[in-house]
Amino acid sequence: MINATYAIWLRHMRKFTRNREELGGLLIQPILWVALFGVGMGRMLPDQSNYLSFMLPGILALTALGGAAGGGMMFLDERLRGILREYMVAPIPRLSILLGHMCATVSKAFFQIIIVVIVGVLAGAQLGGGVVGWLATLIALICFTLGFAGIALGVAARSKSIMGYHGMIFLFNLPLLFASNALYPLDSAPVWMQWLAKANPATWFIDVARSSTQSTDMSANLLNLGLLMGFAVAGTWLALRRFNAVTAN
Amino acid sequence: MIDAQGLHKQFGTVQAVIDLELHVPQGSVYALLGPNGAGKSTTINMLTTLLRPDRGTIVIAGHDAVRNPDAVRRVIGVTFQDLVLDRDLSGREALDFYGRLYGLDAATRTQRTKELLTLVELNDAADRLTGTYSGGMRRRLELARCLMMQPQILFLDEPTQGLDPQHRAMIWDYLRMLQQQHGMTMLITTHAMDEAEILAQQVGIIDHGRMVASGTPAELIGQFGSEMVRITANYPADYQPSWLQAEWVRNWAIQNGELRVGVDHGSRRIATILDGLRADGLQVSDMNMTRPSLGDVFLQTTGRALRDEVKS
Repeated sequence: MINATYAIWLRHMRKFTRNREELGGLLIQPILWVALFGVGMGRMLPDQSNYLSFMLPGILALTALGGAAGGGMMFLDERLRGILREYMVAPIPRLSILLGHMCATVSKAFFQIIIVVIVGVLAGAQLGGGVVGWLATLIALICFTLGFAGIALGVAARSKSIMGYHGMIFLFNLPLLFASNALYPLDSAPVWMQWLAKANPATWFIDVARSSTQSTDMSANLLNLGLLMGFAVAGTWLALRRFNAVTAN
Repeated sequence: MIDAQGLHKQFGTVQAVIDLELHVPQGSVYALLGPNGAGKSTTINMLTTLLRPDRGTIVIAGHDAVRNPDAVRRVIGVTFQDLVLDRDLSGREALDFYGRLYGLDAATRTQRTKELLTLVELNDAADRLTGTYSGGMRRRLELARCLMMQPQILFLDEPTQGLDPQHRAMIWDYLRMLQQQHGMTMLITTHAMDEAEILAQQVGIIDHGRMVASGTPAELIGQFGSEMVRITANYPADYQPSWLQAEWVRNWAIQNGELRVGVDHGSRRIATILDGLRADGLQVSDMNMTRPSLGDVFLQTTGRALRDEVKS
């Protein structure tokens, strides 16, 4: 089980480090977000570095979402090209195939996230919170990515084409972020939107990231962390269910 | 080694495989023939545990494929019709990865990879990405990949599709060598009659999900007698040559404007046949005489010439 998961993860990592286009794209994307959106929006506000600190967790969430969508894409590509069948005739648990893809997805997202943080700090974002806060943010981010990677893989397990997949998965990207507290505070938003945002895993993650990198009060984060862990498990479960439905008929 | 009984698979309202039976003894090669959409892929998917049959039993090397698929997966090697090689890995990496997936240790992986690359003569290209390989090279690498875990049984779906004659012959040599030197049991699907005749001891022809003929190539061809007379003429749509009821006629059919008669002795019977056609007032435009082949068996049982299939 662990062995097969590792093998699949390793295969993706090897392909990833070899693919200059993908590597370059993933590298530049977060830099552009921080540089263009963060700095640009920040200029409209009196205190630029404060806005950057405020929206940096949002960019982290967006990066994780992009990574999850990319992970689903990678899985869909292997499925449509028939590579998946090579795993299917091997005596390995079906779950290990999923976990291999999910781990690869999280690894790639992690690589981007480090860059976002570095660029963010260089651009003037102020991050506090200490080791505990950072650790909480990291765990929250991994759960968040796993949950959406699960959803993306679940969609990819059924999609008949790349276009169909993109149509579905686009919903989980920007619109999800707009319906959260990623880019603006929710205080001024209408009540229905506040509720929508409260049910949005992106908000849970951003709450954790924001509060634990800006203050040392962790108590409010426990609920959000718990929700995110539940979300990660639910995402994996969904992916496995859809995956089994496709392969066991 | 491969035993399937009463196999049944339905997709929605389409019956893909109906009451299929198939037996392949240890060390022999079985060729599954059939037009596109006949149920070959569905059958091979069920035998290789990728698809669960609605009804019926499959026993592979003593293991029940439905109840214990992992045990079956451990003893089989499978190549697919559409190649599944990852274009972003080198040939060596593709084999290494496959061994890793099965939990093979590094030393064994390195050794087997080396042996297999030598076997399929890909040593020179081993460290190039498979995306740069030719069709023949990819087929050979696929073959090496499915041998990586030293399987007892190989399932090869169209192993030479899209290859030039030289590369086909090369693959055939490997397969024959595997059978003769390693006693490998194989099930192949193919469009090519020559491939089935050269490689297989047993042949099954499948059409519309049913097994319509099976046996050794010699048995199947034998039902057409020793020679086959083919005559092209202006046959009416419902033409019934009642005079072909003679004891020397093994078999006859009219398809695509051609009458084919399997006879015991061609040169002795051809005049009789021509006389019969003339007596019915028909204009013969062409005739020839050949040894019957698996292609004739196929045409007779499925109503379709294989040449048409290859095009589609």
